[in-house]
Amino acid sequence: MRHRVVAAAAVAVLLGLVAATASASPQRAQANKLTVWLQVDAQSGWPDIVAAANQQFQKDHPGYTVDVQYQNWTDHLQKFDATLAGGNSPDVIEMGNTEMTKYMAAGAFSPLDKSSFDNAPQWLSGLAKSGAYGGKTYGVPYYAGSRVATYRTDLFKKAGIKKLPATLAELTADAKKLAAKNKGKGFSPVYFGGEDWYVAMAFVYDFGGTIARTHSGKWVGALDSPQAVKGLTAYKNFFLASSRASKTNDSTNPNPYDVYAQGNAGVIIGPSWFSCCVGVKYKTATAQFVLPGHVKGQALPGFLGGSDLAVPVTSKSASLGADWIKDFTGTSAERALQAKGNIPNATNLLGSSINERAAARSWFVPTAKHWVDVENGNILKNMLGQILTGKLTVKQAAASASDNITSVLNGS
Amino acid sequence: MAETEGAAVAAGAWPRRRRRLTAGRFFRASVPYALILPVLVAIGAVLGYPLYNLVRLSLQHYGLFELIQHKGQAVGLRNFSSILHDGIFWHTLARTVVFTAVNVCLTMAIGTAVALLLVRVSTWARLLLTSGLVLVWATPAVVAVQVWIWMTNFQNGIVNYTLTRLHIGNYSEHDWYATTFSQLGLATTLIVWGAVPFVAISVYAALAQVPRDLEEAAEIDGARPWRVFRDVTLPILRPVLLILTSLSIIWDFGVFTQPYLLIGQGHIHPGNYLMGIYLFEEGYIKTEFGRGAAISLLMLAMVALLSVVYVRKMVRLGDEE
Repeated sequence: MRHRVVAAAAVAVLLGLVAATASASPQRAQANKLTVWLQVDAQSGWPDIVAAANQQFQKDHPGYTVDVQYQNWTDHLQKFDATLAGGNSPDVIEMGNTEMTKYMAAGAFSPLDKSSFDNAPQWLSGLAKSGAYGGKTYGVPYYAGSRVATYRTDLFKKAGIKKLPATLAELTADAKKLAAKNKGKGFSPVYFGGEDWYVAMAFVYDFGGTIARTHSGKWVGALDSPQAVKGLTAYKNFFLASSRASKTNDSTNPNPYDVYAQGNAGVIIGPSWFSCCVGVKYKTATAQFVLPGHVKGQALPGFLGGSDLAVPVTSKSASLGADWIKDFTGTSAERALQAKGNIPNATNLLGSSINERAAARSWFVPTAKHWVDVENGNILKNMLGQILTGKLTVKQAAASASDNITSVLNGS
Repeated sequence: MAETEGAAVAAGAWPRRRRRLTAGRFFRASVPYALILPVLVAIGAVLGYPLYNLVRLSLQHYGLFELIQHKGQAVGLRNFSSILHDGIFWHTLARTVVFTAVNVCLTMAIGTAVALLLVRVSTWARLLLTSGLVLVWATPAVVAVQVWIWMTNFQNGIVNYTLTRLHIGNYSEHDWYATTFSQLGLATTLIVWGAVPFVAISVYAALAQVPRDLEEAAEIDGARPWRVFRDVTLPILRPVLLILTSLSIIWDFGVFTQPYLLIGQGHIHPGNYLMGIYLFEEGYIKTEFGRGAAISLLMLAMVALLSVVYVRKMVRLGDEE
């Protein structure tokens, strides 16, 4: 009998292990190869600039090859964590400016010599700050982007819209006009996903709200403030009036520019490089404008997103990684990025494009070490889904999200 | 080997050589252990060492900083106590138990029904059905998830289109991912769809063991089909059904791929966690690897507990035969 129990227990543990273990396959490193992780944005928006940087790098370092591996925002950090533990991490990695702090604090990157990069004294302060920690530079600003409206000029004309909207109310009225003229199934006058929190938070900031603030050294979620609730309510009304996108999806699946290229959107909201992919059919009938806020003359504050480039501490060729970054963020590369509709990394390069004007009124996420956990925990998206589907009232959803944010931001 | 054993057996019949006899006995007794030794060594290397590391990890604070330093910070049982005091853990556990029960019941019921159908249909229909089942079984989970996502697309998905056309209701732009219930329901359809072939084919094979004359005899005695199934077929199928149910429980309790990919990282939140996803979110997304290890050990203990019941039953069944 005892034997049986022992045998049963042994087999049971084995079965359990089979159920509980997972495996990962590491890639093998190669000599004379520089591995670079960039986000897919570069792959769809500006592969030629990447190729030019590689060429320059190979000219300076004969015999080296550059292996650019494109990553997705949703899982690149998990992949990076795995390489930090198991080796074979990239020599250069692109990080979102909201993702940097946690990794710098943990010592994941090698410090860089700021003065060796082009235009370093004029770097955009928001981006430069996101790449600095404890007085050292770990991230080199790559590019920034604000969010603008990309729209169909022909549809605007057909709907009798003579001048671009100057307030949110006008934009909503225009959306109704567009809807009246375009009765096709699935047509959105203004397309954006219901859980696109970058758009939603713009409304919160436009009405004077904020995501979280500090109170005697602690972070406190602030989405339940009267201003934020007003902003979220305005967002809800605007979404219901203008977008036929899913209420429970953000703007990544499908990509807004794909919807636009299929003729199913009058306006899309997103980075200004969205103009890259609006489709051949509508290329000539496409223009952009700065999204208006609820007060006349004020733009809707755009999320100042951006990316930094960093060299992981595990890289075996840190100086080469820094050299590649120099090639990729040099003045000529930044000018090329600007031509694609991005905001270049330094103030002396700034022009007066729509995108750059939109960036004049912007907002940024709380600069807390644990902010990235709020993002990855989908606290904001979940709240927006609850609001738009009517599962909870704006006040209820905002209050519960606020509590969650407070507890995550103050985590250990 | 056979010769030595034969000699030992022969020696056993000779009462005067008692001493050698004990040695022979000892040898005979140790042979089985020697035979399983290589297996034990292999299992120890492949499973024992990782398990040892997992236990060690669960007793440490191991975050991003520790990951880069390759050195954890011992915290005793703090990971376990914080998890067991976390309301999210208990809610997730309850949700997972219900989810597993629903999935296993559906899988077993539909699988057995398909198997019974296979016995009764004509040869060509059986061939068609079987190849369909094998194709489903051969479809990788990731591919199946993508197909599901397409079918349930809220604007252009075929599910909404068909349901609307059949006048079952207005499903135009119905969002299948709007509520937790609907999300997990979709995951259930996908998991059951993928698991039915294995159950159906295994049960079909077992049905071949049911003596036809037994069933006929029961029918002649006036038993209705349901009665025949319950009192004749089912008892013979019992061992197979027991194995399949136990395996299904183990698979579904820790299921990750289908719900995670179907619901999507962007929609995962504590309100729709399953155990596998909870473990992934705590361990990998929040980079609290020690906590993740502790959760996986708790899951392991639960599955092991279930398995003890199952293995004991199996051993007993083996003894009866």
